Amino acid sequence: MAAVQDGPMELDAEKEAKPEILSDGTSNLSGNTASGTLSSSPLTAAPAGGAPKMEDQQTLIAVLQFLKRNKLSESVEILRREAGLGEHQEGSQATDGSGGGKGDGDGGDANSLLSRVSITSAAAPQSMPVKKDQPDVSVVLSAYSQQGDPPLYQVYYSGLKNFIESVLDCHRAELSQLFYPLFVHMYLELVYNNHETEAKAFFDKFSGDQECYYQDDLHILCGLTKKEHLKGNEVLLDFRTSRFVLHISRDSYQLLKRHLQERHNNQIWNIIQEHLYIDIFDGMPRSKSQIDSMSGSLAGEAKREVNKAKVFYGLLKEPEIEVPLDDEDDEAENEEGKPKKKKTKKDSLGSKSKKQDPNAPQQNRIPLPELKDSDKLDKIMYMKESTKRIRLGPENLPSICFYTFLNAFQGLTAVDFTDDSSLLAGGFADSTVRVWSVTPKKLRKVKSAGELNVIEKESDDVLERIMDEKTASESKILHGHSGPVYGVSFSPDRNYLLSSSEDGTVRLWSLQTFTCLVGYKGHNYPVWDTHFSPFGYYFVSGGHDRVARLWATDHYQPLRIFAGHLADVTCTRFHPNSNYVATGSTDRTVRLWDVLNANCVRILTGHKGPIHSLAFSPNGKFLASGSTDGRVLLWDIGHGLMIGELKGHTDTIYALKFSRDGEILASGSMDNTVRLWDSMKAFDEVETDDFTATTGHIHLPDNSQELLLGMYHSKSTPVTHLHFTRRNLLLAAGAYNSQ
Amino acid sequence: MASPKTVPKDAQVMMQILKDMGITEYEPRVINQMLEFTYRYVTTIIEDAKIYSTHAKKSNVDADDIRLAIQCRVDQSFTSPPPRDFLLDIARQKNQTPLPLIKPYTGPRLPPDRYCLTAPNYRLKSLQKKVSSSAGRITVPRLSVGAVSSRPSTPTLGTPSVQTVGTKVGTPVSLTGQRFTVQIPSSQATSVKSATPTTPTVQNVLINPSLIGSKNILITTNMVSQNSSSDSTSLKRKHEDEDDYDAL
Repeated sequence: MAAVQDGPMELDAEKEAKPEILSDGTSNLSGNTASGTLSSSPLTAAPAGGAPKMEDQQTLIAVLQFLKRNKLSESVEILRREAGLGEHQEGSQATDGSGGGKGDGDGGDANSLLSRVSITSAAAPQSMPVKKDQPDVSVVLSAYSQQGDPPLYQVYYSGLKNFIESVLDCHRAELSQLFYPLFVHMYLELVYNNHETEAKAFFDKFSGDQECYYQDDLHILCGLTKKEHLKGNEVLLDFRTSRFVLHISRDSYQLLKRHLQERHNNQIWNIIQEHLYIDIFDGMPRSKSQIDSMSGSLAGEAKREVNKAKVFYGLLKEPEIEVPLDDEDDEAENEEGKPKKKKTKKDSLGSKSKKQDPNAPQQNRIPLPELKDSDKLDKIMYMKESTKRIRLGPENLPSICFYTFLNAFQGLTAVDFTDDSSLLAGGFADSTVRVWSVTPKKLRKVKSAGELNVIEKESDDVLERIMDEKTASESKILHGHSGPVYGVSFSPDRNYLLSSSEDGTVRLWSLQTFTCLVGYKGHNYPVWDTHFSPFGYYFVSGGHDRVARLWATDHYQPLRIFAGHLADVTCTRFHPNSNYVATGSTDRTVRLWDVLNANCVRILTGHKGPIHSLAFSPNGKFLASGSTDGRVLLWDIGHGLMIGELKGHTDTIYALKFSRDGEILASGSMDNTVRLWDSMKAFDEVETDDFTATTGHIHLPDNSQELLLGMYHSKSTPVTHLHFTRRNLLLAAGAYNSQ
Repeated sequence: MASPKTVPKDAQVMMQILKDMGITEYEPRVINQMLEFTYRYVTTIIEDAKIYSTHAKKSNVDADDIRLAIQCRVDQSFTSPPPRDFLLDIARQKNQTPLPLIKPYTGPRLPPDRYCLTAPNYRLKSLQKKVSSSAGRITVPRLSVGAVSSRPSTPTLGTPSVQTVGTKVGTPVSLTGQRFTVQIPSSQATSVKSATPTTPTVQNVLINPSLIGSKNILITTNMVSQNSSSDSTSLKRKHEDEDDYDAL
């Protein structure tokens, strides 16, 4: 992340410094194509004066060499004077120091990328392979252009392929990781430089070799044959500018480096240096299955230091609330004395220890709304309900109640339940949001002001009197959006409903008047998901513009912007302690963000398709994610490791929910099934030793079959949403699909 | 799916495109949508290109005109999300400010009113014709404005009585404002009240426009209606409800 962030700043500094040097240089060069090239090239000038950094030093030297080679002696003198370089410094050449040039290549928008490319390809003909003694000149000057003839690309790639196939088995799996990023980058370079036929030939020859889970990407690449096609495709532009991360063991890396540096054409080596980030670890090379489980994302895997930040995954302490003894349940069979009962009720949900959990965030780490009286009443209800909760386990599976939406004609796009399961909201493709009452109690809205004026305000049941009985109905329709509604979320206090839509807005609706209160504009592109914080007040939304935004209901602009994904953010969820937000994206990674400062604290790779569902375990330690590849992956947030893989579904998983105590994970998918998994067992079997903690390489047992507790088919209704009631009854929702 | 023989050539091209992109399952209407889109896009581009070529005083439309037309349209309709460095930059700026503290006990937490959608979005025109003074049943305030017509607002909106209820429940007073025209300061209301026992509304109409404006006319008629029998108000209520549904 840091690399990309610093890139633009460097670029700007160099851009500003450029004109000075060049104006001196060009005055002596007239009608020289090289000068014209230099003056218009936006990138490859050395910064003026000062104490140039190592990379800038290299750039300066490179420029000097270039000028010398073209016999522009006066400009050489002037440049040397300006930059304060001595004669002796030109001799120093560092092949690896040319990484500085690449740093300038990162960042920058499409236009500068393209201009850079077109200019440098017009620069000194580089058709001959780069000589060993002057690698830095050409490398620096050709940030994005190819260094060989287009037909030679195939030669380079097949050369590498042959090499990798000839190494020892243990290294082969690791080095095969190189194929995909190299293939894509080489193909994109060919396309950028307008070698359409060569690009097509290259693609046809080598696309079949790639791993099967990259097939979707390859389909998209197949359709990109011209430079113009790349202009609007932000995802691929981000792919080009960000570095694909690979984990390779030291031994394998040495092998590769030795091989590539032996050859005269360092082109593959240059691409590796420019576009790939190789995270070297000491230890045993990984096996193919290990690599397969972690790879698949658009940016490779995650750098190890990214997942090292401390995450406070513990839960916040529950506030102490007195449970009133006068409305105890009559069904309670407990005959013990009342004081005892009261004590057990208080402690059953709060943390047993008085000390602060070291893994929990401070209570005031982020500002949270205080508890109102109505919230306290809710909490008391919650505690009462939880005493009646069924303990689930492998022998005690939950009952499932399925709410089927009829006549939705494939228009149901989002569903949510309130926490106490009294209301159900559906977002539809016709831009409406409908709210249903699941209990026999009907939906009522507040009376109009005229009627409110005449009611008796001091009566005890004023809260019932303000509700309008005449328009009570089982469902209410909310109009307002101008595009399909892709995400709905109830607030914990059941007063508000959020809906996010393709029209780029997130709307806040009041559930007392059933009218729209606020439209939050910020994403100008479809907003795929939104989620209220477990304490209310904050909510997060994620959309097509590749960022997730944190809002508060009383601010019309977002409070935090979580930028970093390479592709759309399709799923956003709050952690139970409201201090972290998890986002799943089409770039096949899950990221965990800190609400306090919007840092990305975890990057979790391993999915092979866009992620459409996320669920935190109730104890806050684990995260489950489901994607289009039909797998559910379980992650340990504290260590940032994958601890489980649940295979079984055959289609996209759109619904994931942990039971109230975290013993069972329910997953619902487009293949019309609900599956129940034993999450307790999955989390118990985690073995972490030092090696796995440092490198993140874990060997997952293939125990999906053992963990599967039950599979339930619906007739032809894909499961869109799952919800465990407070008593651990599983509710599912989906729209009947008659085809 | 229709057999390839009976499908027109353009549709066959679309089917082939879908196949090339790896899409195997799709509804049959997708082909029609794609054809429609293609037709619309191409005609728009060609029309633009014609304009550019006539502007350049060329006899024929050539590739440069088309290129220019495409370029201009791309910026309008096919915008892409902002580039990554831009997003990282604004994110950095936004994320530097600390999270604002939450003021306690403020009722519903909503942005300032002008960023909410709770304000009335209509204004009523002035009353044109005389109102008949029969039976206090005022159906005539056909203050004909757009969708929502007679919606007699009680000027009690601004009064504290409603607010106390509001705080108990947690609903903001401004919520209900969505259905009502205007808040008038209670002083005005009282003056109006005092002016009218059960006199015909016409007089009130004449008096008030000078004072506050057209909005108040509705208020004054209201005041009269309120003084009339409860039956009429309830009838009127029903009538409004029908109007409500009409408006929706």
